[in-house]
Amino acid sequence: MSELIQLGSHNERPMPPKADELNLRFSEQAIKELEGLKTHYPNLKACILPGLWIAQREYGGFLDGDAIAEVAHRLSRSYAEVQGVATFYSMYNTVHNPGKHKIEVCTCLSCHFNSAYRIRDYVSKKLGIKNGETTADGMFMLEEVECLNACDRAPVVQVGDRYFGPVDEKSIDALLEELRASEESTVVKMADQIVQVQLKAEERVGTIR
Amino acid sequence: MAILDKIVKPMIAGLGITSKRLGHSRPTVMYPEDKREQFPRTRWRHVLTRHDDGLEKCIGCSLCAGACPARCIYVDAGENTEENRLSPGERHAVRYEINMLRCIFCGYCQDACPTGAIVLRKDFELANYDREEFIFTKEMLLEPALSERSK
Amino acid sequence: MAAATDIQTVNIIVNGIELAVPKGELVVEAVKRLGLEIPIFCYHPRLKPVGMCRMCLVETGMKNPQDGTIRMMPKPAAACTLPVSEGLVINTESDALKKDRKGVLEFLLINHPLDCPICDRGGECPLQNNTLFYGPATSRFIEQKRHNVKAYPLSDYVTLDLERCIQCARCIRFTEEISGDSQLAFRFRGNKTHPITFNETKFTSKFSGNVIEICPVGALTNRKYRFRARPWDLQTSEAVCLNCSNGCNIWFDHRAGKVVRINARTNEAINEEWTCDKGKFGHDYYNDEKRLETPFARTGDELQKADYATVYAKLLEAFHGDNTGMILGDSLSNETYITAQNFFTGQLGSHNIDYRFSANQAKGASTVDNSIASLELAKTTLVFGTHLADDLPIVFLRVRKGWFNQGTQVILATDRSDEVSEFAAHTLVYKPGTEATIAKAFAGQVSVADAAAKCGISEPELQAAITAAAGATVITTTSLNHEAAEVLKALDGNFNAYPTGANERGAQLALACDGLSALEQLKKAANGELSALWVVGVDLFSVGLPREEVIRALENVDFLAVQDSRRTETFYYASVALPMTLPAEQDGSYTNCEGTTQQMKAIIPPVGQAKPAWRVFEELSIRVNPRMPFSQASEILASAPAFA
Repeated sequence: MSELIQLGSHNERPMPPKADELNLRFSEQAIKELEGLKTHYPNLKACILPGLWIAQREYGGFLDGDAIAEVAHRLSRSYAEVQGVATFYSMYNTVHNPGKHKIEVCTCLSCHFNSAYRIRDYVSKKLGIKNGETTADGMFMLEEVECLNACDRAPVVQVGDRYFGPVDEKSIDALLEELRASEESTVVKMADQIVQVQLKAEERVGTIR
Repeated sequence: MAILDKIVKPMIAGLGITSKRLGHSRPTVMYPEDKREQFPRTRWRHVLTRHDDGLEKCIGCSLCAGACPARCIYVDAGENTEENRLSPGERHAVRYEINMLRCIFCGYCQDACPTGAIVLRKDFELANYDREEFIFTKEMLLEPALSERSK
Repeated sequence: MAAATDIQTVNIIVNGIELAVPKGELVVEAVKRLGLEIPIFCYHPRLKPVGMCRMCLVETGMKNPQDGTIRMMPKPAAACTLPVSEGLVINTESDALKKDRKGVLEFLLINHPLDCPICDRGGECPLQNNTLFYGPATSRFIEQKRHNVKAYPLSDYVTLDLERCIQCARCIRFTEEISGDSQLAFRFRGNKTHPITFNETKFTSKFSGNVIEICPVGALTNRKYRFRARPWDLQTSEAVCLNCSNGCNIWFDHRAGKVVRINARTNEAINEEWTCDKGKFGHDYYNDEKRLETPFARTGDELQKADYATVYAKLLEAFHGDNTGMILGDSLSNETYITAQNFFTGQLGSHNIDYRFSANQAKGASTVDNSIASLELAKTTLVFGTHLADDLPIVFLRVRKGWFNQGTQVILATDRSDEVSEFAAHTLVYKPGTEATIAKAFAGQVSVADAAAKCGISEPELQAAITAAAGATVITTTSLNHEAAEVLKALDGNFNAYPTGANERGAQLALACDGLSALEQLKKAANGELSALWVVGVDLFSVGLPREEVIRALENVDFLAVQDSRRTETFYYASVALPMTLPAEQDGSYTNCEGTTQQMKAIIPPVGQAKPAWRVFEELSIRVNPRMPFSQASEILASAPAFA
């Protein structure tokens, strides 16, 4: 719990960034998409969630302080409010950098009966990471999640916007090999897909796959 | 006969009582060389106790001052730092003073103390020649640390 | 505000007593009309209800309008989010509710550490009180409590202790709704929820001290008061804050003759129940080690301790006639100004007695059409040439409240964007020094195109702001450019030039100001044309004048008398110096920016031989002209027609 807070110096806290000190990294496309999304909602506060998805894509899957500050700046909301929203939802990666691929192992009832923990322990041992950690090369992150609503395929594993199941050690090996070989980050891809789904057809710059 | 009745007999009776009492134990003590054993729950001079590791039990919470009916306790608290740690936790007493002239030895401070730091012990010899000396400071009240006590 | 007759009432039944209350009032407020109290944590009368703590549970039901039968709801409801409606039945006391409250408190206390003995809130803590009255005596929770960071410094003034937090969101709602900086928010969810700033950055709000007071537990505590006293050690007195001209009502908490902390005291007409950080934390000068304790007189190059008689003799020798001057600070008591005027002009015969250091101030005095409380009702407000949150913090809160509650349209015209621009409908950032031009543009005296070009504002923006500002209530300060002030004053709407000095308004009322202004006196002194100068309660080096000018003035005057509470920089140039008491050490009255005169009683004993300035003037006055002197501050105020 207390690891969520950076202790820092006891006497001097850093100042919150001023508007002109921000390191804005949104691409042309992202700015255009955000402008489109703003028109979908009655006020800018309601636009925070899609704005964070854009940021998650633009910042390589990890919403660090800079990303949150940029969303807050572009939506004229306070930094703290946007950070509060981002940390509330577990699909925004705000605490740990998820790397390129986030392997989410369902550990709810059906998957549990079908040895989800064995799968988790296998992934954990193979990649040398524990739950909620990222590999040193920044390739994989392992996370236990609650029900993925795919009990017919238990034990199920979610990577990006794709489900794999039922999985066993062999298919996990194959999956990891496939992910390692792919150029694209599934974390970023999922964020992009969510943004595209939220846009109207005429506002869409990317494509829905 | 009158002499016998009026003088000798009472003398013998008196000496008889004396001689009977010679065998009894002596109730008076030769104070200050000898001191009487105090009752186990007697309440005299306050002591600020320490934990076994030498840290003070007092956390400077001022509850004793709040409970004191004679308002004779003054506490000033300070914050513990890594370099200057006097008690466990965040807070310690910087100043702890008891005005013994006002204290009525009711023991409420002992009841109020959440850490059992202030206790009233058996040291009853509190007389002094100077009024100033009756302000007992923290240094006077603190019991020596275990390591120093053994010396 | 609507007249009393316009308010629609509904009939409700509280604990069997029928009651008519305004429609839509919250149950937690409505039961207060019967003198009942519902235990609360998250509810605050000045913040929007959220219903987070569930402490205010009440039993509710509805009365059938046809047959009058009462049907109670099976489960209790939160009184803080339930508005009253016709026929509502409320029970605030029942065995079931007692059990509910015990349950809620037991849950709240599961993760609340039992470190009350070292907690600064201990003794005045709503959680302690509610637990005592409504809570369980013991807990069934024997497991390890949740651990979190303790004593986390959010800023120089506020310490955060997350173990103690009960997630009531009062602090968060304060920063969102009242101060408007939104610097605090909940992060994470479930048992990880905690209020904190963005990325643990500094909590820089100018009203951060208020979250300490509204926190119902010891999660947010005062860093300056940390471990300095417990509530039962303190003596508390009513006082008025004199750090700016708003005149906030405060509780002055002191221990053994030393000020320990300042808390807000409710006054609906001025500060409601808020303070700014300047007022809440800026009281170090009381315990300053540079306090002046005895009179001083110069012998040769050295200032040496002297007695009052010696100094008085020297003063009376040096000061007479129009060749001498007196400069007064703008935060002295009304009594000081009245006696100073009587003594200096009446007895010593000099008209050079003044408090004004800026040329703008000297030309125009403050004019006030609006009381602070009425500002929140304005339809349109034009904030001109001032940074409200710095200059007049409580006026800022009122303007923001008007915007937040009634949708006041706020137009800001100033030289840099500030807190007001966060919610202003139009923000005009003009080049410094072009105030007069832009004011004329508002009055239609110069064309919008010319003004826009000169002030560095885009023309459509200026045009839109001017259109919106028609009939606006103007808020500015006395230090505004005089020309601009005159133009704005002539506009249709109300015009308020609030003074910024703590008792500048009192000085304006009490002093005739028919001689040289303070600025002119200093200029004359620099040329060696002033034989003696008397400086009361102001450090000339901190009034914003160039240092060299001040030094030249102080060095070229033959005799310099300094009367101050501290050994200021000016003090070291003095020929004689007199110690002066601070507001809490003397009886006195102070007039705030809207013109309300507030009394303050002596709270702590004066330092050393310090005397109230008015007493010094009275003592000198009877040496010149024997008469019965004033012995009490109240007599002086009663004698002055300006304050009748």
